[in-house]
Amino acid sequence: MTASPHSWRIRAVQFGAVAIVAAPWEFAPRAGLADPTLLPPFSEVLKQLIVLLSEGSVVKDLAITASEVALAFAIVAPLGVGCGLLLAENDYIGRVFKPFFYFLASVPKSVFLPAFILLFGIGFGQKVAFGVFQAIFVLVISTVAAVASVEPELVKLARAYGASRARIYAEIYWPSMLPFIVEGMRLGVIFSITGVVFAEMAVARAGMGARIATWGQTFQMPDLYAGVLLVSLLSITVNEALRAYERKVGKWRG
Amino acid sequence: MARLTAGKLDAADDERGAAGVGQAGPAPVDVAVEHISHIYGAGAVKALDDVNFTVERGRFVGLVGPSGCGKSSLLLMLAGLMQPSEGRIVVEGTELSRPDPERVGVVFQEASLLPWKTARENVEFPLKVRGIGKAERRTRADAFLDLVGLSEFKDRLPNQLSGGMRHRVSIARGFCQDPHILLMDEPFAALDEQTRMTMGNELLNIWEKRRKTVIFVTHSLTEAVYLCDEVVVMSHRPGRILERIEIDLPRPRTYEMMATEKFGRLRDHIWRLIRKD
Repeated sequence: MTASPHSWRIRAVQFGAVAIVAAPWEFAPRAGLADPTLLPPFSEVLKQLIVLLSEGSVVKDLAITASEVALAFAIVAPLGVGCGLLLAENDYIGRVFKPFFYFLASVPKSVFLPAFILLFGIGFGQKVAFGVFQAIFVLVISTVAAVASVEPELVKLARAYGASRARIYAEIYWPSMLPFIVEGMRLGVIFSITGVVFAEMAVARAGMGARIATWGQTFQMPDLYAGVLLVSLLSITVNEALRAYERKVGKWRG
Repeated sequence: MARLTAGKLDAADDERGAAGVGQAGPAPVDVAVEHISHIYGAGAVKALDDVNFTVERGRFVGLVGPSGCGKSSLLLMLAGLMQPSEGRIVVEGTELSRPDPERVGVVFQEASLLPWKTARENVEFPLKVRGIGKAERRTRADAFLDLVGLSEFKDRLPNQLSGGMRHRVSIARGFCQDPHILLMDEPFAALDEQTRMTMGNELLNIWEKRRKTVIFVTHSLTEAVYLCDEVVVMSHRPGRILERIEIDLPRPRTYEMMATEKFGRLRDHIWRLIRKD
């Protein structure tokens, strides 16, 4: 993004909007307008955030959640893209199975959590499985869309130039699909995080989701808000990094 | 692959020569369309019916006809991308059964650039497919981008170019392949009338410099008469040849010719043929 005077003005207004939320958060509890045990001042939350990051046990929980998400994503990315390619490229399989994916995509995944607990227990494996389950549909659907985005006209053109099948995949399919795949991956990571944290919040012995749930149940409000802030900041960072990559590989679009 | 070297680029033409052009005696036949008939699906639609004609070396031949007359199918067959139900296509004496880009190059409808490649990479692409080295590809692509006046825009992506510029890139890509025969499938159909005429003139300019045998499919009768040496008029489905019309206007063609009685008569004649059908 270029820093034109215009975008500076937008940044200033956005900063103002944050201040409008943060200022009452800071001063209402101090002025007795809000119960400080339920809404501790913003600065207390920030202070607690730094305390949490210096606590080995919280960092360890964060690492557990991160590795659950990473493993879930490492499983779901090739699986989702692979299923998507199969559904898109094989006419018969596509016609038989595509509807199931579209139907299941619309069902809230959270209703399956009790079944996952019974099937996979409450440990690391169950968190990963639920993370995979949350993310697979969006990945499959965006891969199918990626294949559909390949222009038949360009395939014909490459054939007329005498391109082999391998070259057509490398030079036409791959670059056409890449921005869609990266977009699917980005959504996949977000959905994996959602699944893992949600599963941790329900039943778990470790992980950030478990931490946040416990803090809430025990009225440790500065910790709770700091935990929410921490998970939010990390998710936003992952999302924005992938979005930047998506813009880079999709510069030719639009 | 001697004829593909960069050194040959500035030669008037390759060793085949622009034989027949401005010479006495008949030119050799580059393309022979021999009794082509085509049926789509399981005998459902007859698209082409015994189409038979030849194109001599160095000629600029137009293919016109109403929509659905099968002219685009015929072009796909000439490109080796489609097999006719009956008949065959003979290029320089040998039958064509699959794409042969060294002999037959194609300029597609609506520019058809690869949107993730720059103008230069697009022009280089067919050469890359053919396995020509990077340095030579670059030299040749640059020369043709220069020829179409796009030297300053070669590193731009298609979405950063105007419609006219994209078509120039497409034409540069067609000529850069240095095929003996260049097929053009309504290359300017998506352009406005004014840009279309400009592009037509630019195409003729390049063609005067690098004579190729051109087969040009178009909807526009004015464009057909203006560009071509000969216009092959096709009928409504199933496509048959109604008439082959020699356009004996002098070259180089100029805008003024369009106002002449002869130009009008030729265009009118084609119009009547298509309308009657």
